[in-house]
Amino acid sequence: MDFVFGGCVQQIQQAYPSRCMELRWVSSRRKRIIDKEKRVLLPKKPLIPPALVPIYISTTPSHINPEELKDLYSASNHSCHRFPSYVDSEGTVRVEPVDIHKLNVALSHSSVLVSVFCKPTDVLCATETWSSSSSSSSSSSLEDLIKPRKTLGLGDLFQKVLPVTPSNGQLVGFGRAVSDFGLTASIYDIMVIPSLRGMGIGRIIVKRIVRMLANSDVYDISAVCSENERLFFKACGFGDDILCSTTMIYSRNASTSHQGNQIVTRAGRKLLVAPPHREAP
Amino acid sequence: MLTRNAAPPSSPCPLVSFDFHCQMSDRLLFPHNLNYGLDRGRRKHESLRLRAGFWESIKSGFLKNNTTQVIETPSAPQEEEEPLPQEFVLTEKTEPNGAVEQIIFSSGGDVDVYDLQALCDKVGWPRRPLSKLAAALKNSYMVATLHSIKKSPGSEGSDQKKLIGMARATSDHAFNATIWDVLVDPSYQGQGLGKALVEMLIRALLQRDIGNITLFADSQVVEFYQNLGFEPDPEGIKGVGNLEPQHHANPIMLLFW
Repeated sequence: MDFVFGGCVQQIQQAYPSRCMELRWVSSRRKRIIDKEKRVLLPKKPLIPPALVPIYISTTPSHINPEELKDLYSASNHSCHRFPSYVDSEGTVRVEPVDIHKLNVALSHSSVLVSVFCKPTDVLCATETWSSSSSSSSSSSLEDLIKPRKTLGLGDLFQKVLPVTPSNGQLVGFGRAVSDFGLTASIYDIMVIPSLRGMGIGRIIVKRIVRMLANSDVYDISAVCSENERLFFKACGFGDDILCSTTMIYSRNASTSHQGNQIVTRAGRKLLVAPPHREAP
Repeated sequence: MLTRNAAPPSSPCPLVSFDFHCQMSDRLLFPHNLNYGLDRGRRKHESLRLRAGFWESIKSGFLKNNTTQVIETPSAPQEEEEPLPQEFVLTEKTEPNGAVEQIIFSSGGDVDVYDLQALCDKVGWPRRPLSKLAAALKNSYMVATLHSIKKSPGSEGSDQKKLIGMARATSDHAFNATIWDVLVDPSYQGQGLGKALVEMLIRALLQRDIGNITLFADSQVVEFYQNLGFEPDPEGIKGVGNLEPQHHANPIMLLFW
């Protein structure tokens, strides 16, 4: 029985990606705010002191709590369906909550699962900073952003010293990939909670997935993403397909084909219709 | 196998456990990794768990004998609906010399890797390592094949079985699927066989409520897939390929059509 305090544990398994659990630090020093209208990367205001947030990256599936993951999907406003969203009362585009049973099935059949944990206190700080900076961008004074130091008790100090682990941490980032362990793989569902975005966590997740796939000799990795995720993947080193293939997605729906005895399945907003059954002559 | 749950999380002892979970076959079965008993005796160490995972607690509630040993049968408690293999005759043709040629569709996925390699050569695709082909076939969600069986007139048991088409799909069994490697022998092209292959795959996937079906089409075949109900790049979705050619030992090109 071994105890490991932090650090990275490498295991050699037969031709399969090794499971690593790591502690890392991400900094908001290089945090960029993307101005959506201008599509320009603005440097973060120097007033806000950079936060160093310790995170725990895990590739062990058992560290993932399905309920927490479902909440992460909702918090990140991420949908598993390609045609996902509806517009809620406030005018924001929202996605339907993910079905937990389907999520469990998907998780059990994903080849690579990466989860990132962070201490709840750090998440709270980040959320406050993020919501204050996003709501009052013009007149945020230094005093508002740097909270007055409160006296820390021994318990608080101890909590600060403890490394973040999946058990005492909150799930803040996730990514998964499906592979055939031979030729190809597809990355799905990369997400980080909004308050901790821009710090490189998503990039760490993608790099870890790519590394694990490369360990099992898969180099052809695809990631189907929407327009606003495209920039992210480009920054991670993904580009247009080397062979200039066109991505296509199935979208035949009930409105366009009228045939009896058809299978109709729901995929987010759309109702997809299956091709007719072929009978032998 | 003993499963010991360590002290509750508020304990001041920061223990980071690590797993020696070995893979069973090549699949990662998420709930099984929580159950040490499933590891088929290949595990060498005990692991300390920092907390009883949510799933673990649910599982131990289900299985009555849950004191220290959690044994799980190889079949998962949750439904594992693999596509039911079906096989049927797609077309039947009688040749002038009396021989009958049947084209059999099969979704059982029993493909001889050497046959497949030969078929890829016929179509003009670059060669890929056989071991990788075999692994890819084994781990695909569904492999649909077309075989041609020629029965010569008069003689029994001298059927010629030939692989003439294949299509495969990978999936996470719940939300997404991607169709790869659709190919049909050039001498059998133009008869709607490729269309049949893809349609069967789509049908099987939709039957299991897998709604996101994607594929990466070469420019010559975009129209072929459009006729089947695929839309190119809807809503700004782009497939991006990983740009790290320096990692390739031998550059593996994947052609789609």
